[in-house]
Amino acid sequence: MAWVLLVIAGISETLGVIGINQINRSKNVLSYAILLGGFTSSFVFLSLAMESITMSTAYAIWTGIGTVGSVIIGIIFYNEAHDWKRILCIGLVLTAAVGLKLID
Amino acid sequence: MRRNNHWFIVIIAGIFEIGWVIGLKHASNGLEWVGTVFAIFVSMYLLIIASKQLPVGTAYAVFTGIGTAGTTTLEIILFGAPFKLAKVLLIGLLLAGIIGLKTASYSEHKDEKEEGYS
Repeated sequence: MAWVLLVIAGISETLGVIGINQINRSKNVLSYAILLGGFTSSFVFLSLAMESITMSTAYAIWTGIGTVGSVIIGIIFYNEAHDWKRILCIGLVLTAAVGLKLID
Repeated sequence: MRRNNHWFIVIIAGIFEIGWVIGLKHASNGLEWVGTVFAIFVSMYLLIIASKQLPVGTAYAVFTGIGTAGTTTLEIILFGAPFKLAKVLLIGLLLAGIIGLKTASYSEHKDEKEEGYS
């Protein structure tokens, strides 16, 4: 269950990162709402996940999902490059996250 | 000079990042929770400020690297977590993937930072 909460936290962090990016583009209320909502839910779920997952594992996976999530959104919605290097890096992050789950 | 100052801000942001991660796991009273939330805001605020003057992807990679290495090390030194080689290697692998993604995101768009997306 903690691992599900951790994935939810990572996805919420993706939202927060989108908010940061929007604020760098234009400072409007919606940008701040996305940032605040995304990160608030992200930290709440991360805190819950940490009740049974160790701090470093939870943090690394949380930030990994956030990064992979924002790259995937960049590829889909912002027409960013999806070259083999980025796909390889996404694979690295996900493989390492699954590995950390397996040895937990 | 100016740029170096902003890298210094990234490092401070990373230290606050480590602070709130520890707080999220170990805070046990109201004051510690207030400190944790404060550290979250400080780290995000400093990162946003520094990112305006630096390559965003690289700044974020350094920031996350400090957070990941810091929490992994302090968990063992301060909180007595057992040192597991497999775990440290996997966290390193995960971090390598993050740094790859963050730096690759901008290498092709160096001249159009405003259009960049992290």
